[in-house]
Amino acid sequence: MDLNQRNLTVRGNTLNIVISNLRKYTVIIVLLALMSLFSLASPYFLTVRNLTNILIQNTYFIIVAIGLAFVMIGGGIDLSVGYQMSLVGVVTAMCMMVYQLPVWLAITVGILLGTVLGLINGLIVTSIRIFPLIATLATATVFQGLSYIISQANTFRGYPEEFLFLTKGKVFGIPFDIILTVVIALGVSFIFTETVFGFRLLALGGNEEASRLAGINTKRMKIAIYTICGFFTAIATMVMISKANTTNSSFGPGTEFIALTAAIVGGISFMGGEGSIQSLIAGVLLLAVLGNGMQLAGWGTYAQFIVRGMILLGAVAFDEYQRNAKRKIRTKG
Amino acid sequence: MEIENIVEMKGICKSFGGIQALNRVDLELRRGEIMGLVGDNGAGKSTLMKILSGAYQADEGEIYIDGQQAHIHNPQDAFNLGIGMIYQDLALFNNLDVARNIFIGRELVRGPFNFLMDKKRMYKRAEEVIRELRVDIKSPKLNVARMSGGQRQMVACARAIAFQSKVLIMDEPTAALGVTEANKLLGLIRNLKDMGLSILLITQRIPDILAIADRVFVLKGGQRQDILEVGKVTLDDVVTMIVKGKERNGNQAPAIEYKSFG
Repeated sequence: MDLNQRNLTVRGNTLNIVISNLRKYTVIIVLLALMSLFSLASPYFLTVRNLTNILIQNTYFIIVAIGLAFVMIGGGIDLSVGYQMSLVGVVTAMCMMVYQLPVWLAITVGILLGTVLGLINGLIVTSIRIFPLIATLATATVFQGLSYIISQANTFRGYPEEFLFLTKGKVFGIPFDIILTVVIALGVSFIFTETVFGFRLLALGGNEEASRLAGINTKRMKIAIYTICGFFTAIATMVMISKANTTNSSFGPGTEFIALTAAIVGGISFMGGEGSIQSLIAGVLLLAVLGNGMQLAGWGTYAQFIVRGMILLGAVAFDEYQRNAKRKIRTKG
Repeated sequence: MEIENIVEMKGICKSFGGIQALNRVDLELRRGEIMGLVGDNGAGKSTLMKILSGAYQADEGEIYIDGQQAHIHNPQDAFNLGIGMIYQDLALFNNLDVARNIFIGRELVRGPFNFLMDKKRMYKRAEEVIRELRVDIKSPKLNVARMSGGQRQMVACARAIAFQSKVLIMDEPTAALGVTEANKLLGLIRNLKDMGLSILLITQRIPDILAIADRVFVLKGGQRQDILEVGKVTLDDVVTMIVKGKERNGNQAPAIEYKSFG
């Protein structure tokens, strides 16, 4: 028993704890810094109108990023979300414009389709057991082909008023898509922090084998997260095509890059097991503010691609650095 | 008094591809004892225990828990039967804190559909378990990534205590520890025994076994050699049996050629 009385204390290195907690707020701090910078650079930046515009233009990116967050926190990746949007978008548009289905039915078909696409990704990733990066790259191409075949490369425009309500409608003076996004964000944040599912999701991303040994049905969970991702991607698609009031098969691709970058910038580790909704949204807005600010500063669209790419590199490098730092703390302890 | 075995494994066989890892192995664990499992690399110790814990499934053989035949198809089944296993690589989650590591897969829940985490109760219970084990982990909110090997072992033990496992399997718990921490852990294992657990301890360190175990189970080439009473053998006896196996005579199973599974 006296063996037990000898203490093994955890060395509470304050600095290390500060560093590892800093990350939670990094994005928000950088976002605020960036906003002050742009407000100095352009008198138009810090206007209610401009800020509202930034938010409105990014609701669907936030929803896609939230869907992707499920997959990424669980240790996976879904590169096909952009092409899911392309396929879901044209199918929903054709339901309304070509087949004259009622709006609610078209939306239901679109969301069901997106959910099924996610389910397909989940089944492929879990049954063939290949890297999700490659698996979803492959399905992305399949979805793209399907999208063009179904749409026959046509553009569909001029949706019914009820469908445009998604983005043009207001409830208590607030644009409907902003309300939708806030509700989704709050709901998912609750799932992540309070539910057994959210808890197990972190575990799955942290150590898949250990999760299995702890009695968690990891296969079923992985299928679930890709399916959830497809579901949210489909909702985002509705917002996207409603906002544009037009769709063709080229709508959607590219979203995966922004959502992925925003997720990593927002502190969702590329290796899984970490992430929060607040930071994720801050990540999306950071990219948006950057784009908007660069636009106002007259840098044009093309320069934004370069900056976004560099941000993705920087964020992944930072993520990796953080992991190594943690590992070092452990070996020292 | 009749000895009651809490675990009985009978005629366990397991092959991986063409290699027979276990060949008709019988094992009886008495209630409340610490039994060491020893054998060379590839003797089949971990495989045998992983069958008991549900990580692997036996090709043949039967398992009885408390005299009842048990069908263990996955780790959850083993868990429900009160069998906990601490894996060699610990199976901890570096991204989670102590309490979450203890309760993963067996969360304390609340709410109408049991889908909400009862965090308050979870952290309180975790703290109780830590106190019960008398280990110095300052708070159940500490992240396990920053802990020493010994503390990580204790988190794994706490997991077993929290769920009132009846049988605890430990795979080389002292392998990566320094002398002080290893001794401390052995003390803890003895405490666990006093708390009524029956323990199966896989190890390469024979002195550890002689220090705390009641009996030693020797495996060689996927076959049971013998069960030795710790008080009646020396370190040399155990080592000899690990290397050479039991000498075969009339009342033993017929000699079978040993293959190496190195």
